[in-house]
Amino acid sequence: MIRGEAYSRPIPLMAVVLVALAVHGPLLFMQLPSSSFDANFHIFFASHYVHHWFNPWNEKWFAGFSQTTYPPLTHQWIALLSNVVGLNMGYMLVQLIAVLLLPVGVYRFSRIWVDETASSYAALGSVFLGSLAFLVYQAGQLATVASAALYLNALPYFYEWMNDASFVAMAKGVAISWAAAAAHHVTLIFGIVFFAGPVLWIACQDAVHERIAASLAGAISRAAVFAVVVAAGVGVILLPFWLTLIQHPVHQIPIPHDSRANFLLHSITGINYFVIPYGAMILALPFILLRGAGTPRLRPLLFGFWLAFLFGLGGTTPLPRWLLGRAYDILTFERFTFWATLLALPFVGLLVTNLLRRFTSKAALALSLATVMTIGAALWWLKANPYRPTATVDVDPVVAFLNRDGHDTYRYLTLGFASDLAKVATYTNATSVDGDYNSARLLPEMTHYGSAQLTNAKFYGTAGMSALRSMLAHADRYGLKFVFVHDSYYEPLLTFVGWRKIEVFDHGEVTAWSKEDVPPAHQIPSDAIPPAWQGLMWGTLPLGASLLAIFLEIFLPGTRRAPLQFQMRPPQNEKQYVA
Amino acid sequence: MKWTLSIALVAATIVLIAAGLFQTRSGGGTVGIAAGRALPGFAMRPDTPEHALTILLGAVQRRDWKQALTVMRTNDAATSEDEQAMAQDWQGSNGSLRTFSSLESFDLWPQHATTDEAQIRARLNWTTPVGPVEDLRDFNLTRSGEIWTVTLPRTEPPNVPAQIVPVTYLRWDLVSGNGQDKWGTHNLDAPRVRIISMNAVNSAQGVVVMGEVENEDTVPAFVNVNATLLNASAAVIDQENSFDKIAHVLLPKAVSPYRIDFPGLDLAKVKNVRMDIKAALVPASADPVIGVMDQKIEQDLQGNPVLHGALLNQSGQTVNIPHVIASFSDSNGRVIWVSDGYVDNALLPQSSAPFAIQIPRNVATNVRSFHVVVNQYSLENS
Repeated sequence: MIRGEAYSRPIPLMAVVLVALAVHGPLLFMQLPSSSFDANFHIFFASHYVHHWFNPWNEKWFAGFSQTTYPPLTHQWIALLSNVVGLNMGYMLVQLIAVLLLPVGVYRFSRIWVDETASSYAALGSVFLGSLAFLVYQAGQLATVASAALYLNALPYFYEWMNDASFVAMAKGVAISWAAAAAHHVTLIFGIVFFAGPVLWIACQDAVHERIAASLAGAISRAAVFAVVVAAGVGVILLPFWLTLIQHPVHQIPIPHDSRANFLLHSITGINYFVIPYGAMILALPFILLRGAGTPRLRPLLFGFWLAFLFGLGGTTPLPRWLLGRAYDILTFERFTFWATLLALPFVGLLVTNLLRRFTSKAALALSLATVMTIGAALWWLKANPYRPTATVDVDPVVAFLNRDGHDTYRYLTLGFASDLAKVATYTNATSVDGDYNSARLLPEMTHYGSAQLTNAKFYGTAGMSALRSMLAHADRYGLKFVFVHDSYYEPLLTFVGWRKIEVFDHGEVTAWSKEDVPPAHQIPSDAIPPAWQGLMWGTLPLGASLLAIFLEIFLPGTRRAPLQFQMRPPQNEKQYVA
Repeated sequence: MKWTLSIALVAATIVLIAAGLFQTRSGGGTVGIAAGRALPGFAMRPDTPEHALTILLGAVQRRDWKQALTVMRTNDAATSEDEQAMAQDWQGSNGSLRTFSSLESFDLWPQHATTDEAQIRARLNWTTPVGPVEDLRDFNLTRSGEIWTVTLPRTEPPNVPAQIVPVTYLRWDLVSGNGQDKWGTHNLDAPRVRIISMNAVNSAQGVVVMGEVENEDTVPAFVNVNATLLNASAAVIDQENSFDKIAHVLLPKAVSPYRIDFPGLDLAKVKNVRMDIKAALVPASADPVIGVMDQKIEQDLQGNPVLHGALLNQSGQTVNIPHVIASFSDSNGRVIWVSDGYVDNALLPQSSAPFAIQIPRNVATNVRSFHVVVNQYSLENS
């Protein structure tokens, strides 16, 4: 076999999965994501399911909130695994499963668009994505990654169902879509536009050009059936979520997020949300554009990528604000960049095969360096980012204080704890007025100001400090007796409003403050408490959807084949523009 | 089609990015959010007085003193001392309130301009741990060639000579038989404190309940005043407390103004106000002693009435954040307003600092007397 042929062979999918395990397994077992922005949040949600599987009402944050405000699948799997390996490792295992599912999904999704070799390189590229490393290790967006991985696995079945009317494909695609929705609602909603839209478009295009057996009407009608079944299932599986959303739509004041900044005017933000997630893929952007525009069959994918790319630029362009309206101020935009990189991977797979065919080992060396540097830069950025999350708070003494001498009969607040506020909440019996999930907040002291967590109040300027002042002013109302301070910035305020330092922990790193005459905490009346039947649904259907998907994949293996044996060739009369 | 579509997508992207630049420039930033300088080519140039001052204040927001110096007028090349002095001027020192503050936003009003000189008034909105602080400041700018530079008067930090300050203040310690006892929870009678005046009025923000409270005991007291508004059917409308509009620790015979705000409420709907004062015995000391001098009601740059004065730290320890609370009374001796303000600068031992407290215009005309008390936060005692 000549050397060039070796490079043109597809990489076995199992090998790609093993590479993913080799790269991300050690990082996850080292618990690298434990200091990410959202890891503690997910673990906190999971800890509630450990103790109250069928009761989504959680008293520990916001003086009581419903966990039906966030799809539960990943949290429930962490809760299940935590019985064996503990909460932290349970989180890492679920994250690892999502990371391993991703290259499988990318491979299968890419097969809709490009040949087997390019698809295998796309799958391999997904392991080294800067955006994946960013979401897993810096942002801690477990649900986004898990849902995207599931969704990518569902779409080939959707395509196959439209083409072949295979009921097995339909059943698998629907079940995996339900599971994806049970993991993360936002991914499903936007996935319809960015992922399913191009797939529907190409199925119709293939039908029109008679590249497949199905007629256009048949493909569209089957797509409609698929959409209706998925929508109906998602409607039922996440019914408590929708009911909560209808009852309490997100009407709070918009909270600033730096993914909505203009990256050209804020260099660090640009590095964080553009350079790091795309990495070496930035060099492939001209190829993506030219190949996508020049190949009619890739145009739907190009449009999906382009739209996700623009959304991922956040406030750099006004497009997301125009199209999303009020939702613009609720969403964060790093996930769009992740989706854009996923949509770009089939193009990248093509680029890689072209380069390897022409330059063989030189290209292999350059591409290897590019991929390693991309994920390496994302991991380096974890420490180099000046606005990185820091996990320096020793929460053990705080937890011990709250769990002794009846202190848990009062509510508490942490200041300067960043994402560790969720860690305190996970392990203490006491309840807090603060919390780390903006959409679940109902207390007027929090929703009337444009700031997120009270523990990070100072980062939201006047809005944040006004929310904190408002909460401290109503300490008696909420039974708020203890404040734990890990940032001396807040000490003048506490002093002037009549709080006193009572204990010092961790050599002065954390101080406990108390206020006199605060009555013990009582349950705050709320119309958001889910009824028992919703708790029962919430505890059974989302997890059931994922189990159904697993069983169908295992017991109906018959259609596990590439959805379309499609050989991509450059358009005729097209010159080679690579290198 | 390949080139047409490619060019169309690139062009659309460029147009959208350009639109985004326009949109962002007209918007404000948020403290701690959106970090880093603009990329080369996208930064504003100091080609007008407003642009020069915007660059300066933007750099202050990011605490980027190097960039701030690029629009400052200096005789020679900027040195590290210039940068340090600049940082100290804007960042504060000695643990003052300014050291905790961040410039959140600013508004500019050109006052007058010639071809080579301009004066701009800026309202600086600072975010601080004790709430927002607004600062009015005039800036002089001069043109050097194509660019404008800002001239800032160099403020010299107070230089306190080495000295011995005798300590003669009173101090009350709390002795408990059990080291586990917490502050304020000892089995001792609460100090006798009394509300000596109370007045409820409508203001632009809502109902305000205010007055003065006195510690009538011979021991220090920690005091908090609560007010409950009741309607005609004796139902509770709202309940609030004095929060930071009171000196919580009162020495024996000391009097403090208090103010309780009920935002968004109308006094016409209030039938009764129920006052509740809570007091607890606490350890306290009379140190640091802070004198209030030269108090007079004047007008600020915008013509608003303010109570001006100076605070003198008569003790030997630094007061990092002084807090001034004043009650204003009419000719009948009735408290008609209570206002407060935090002082930006730290009070070093034996040094003074000016203060200013705003008074509503409609209240100022009726003020016949005022009573000022000073609360304080010291890092040494925290």
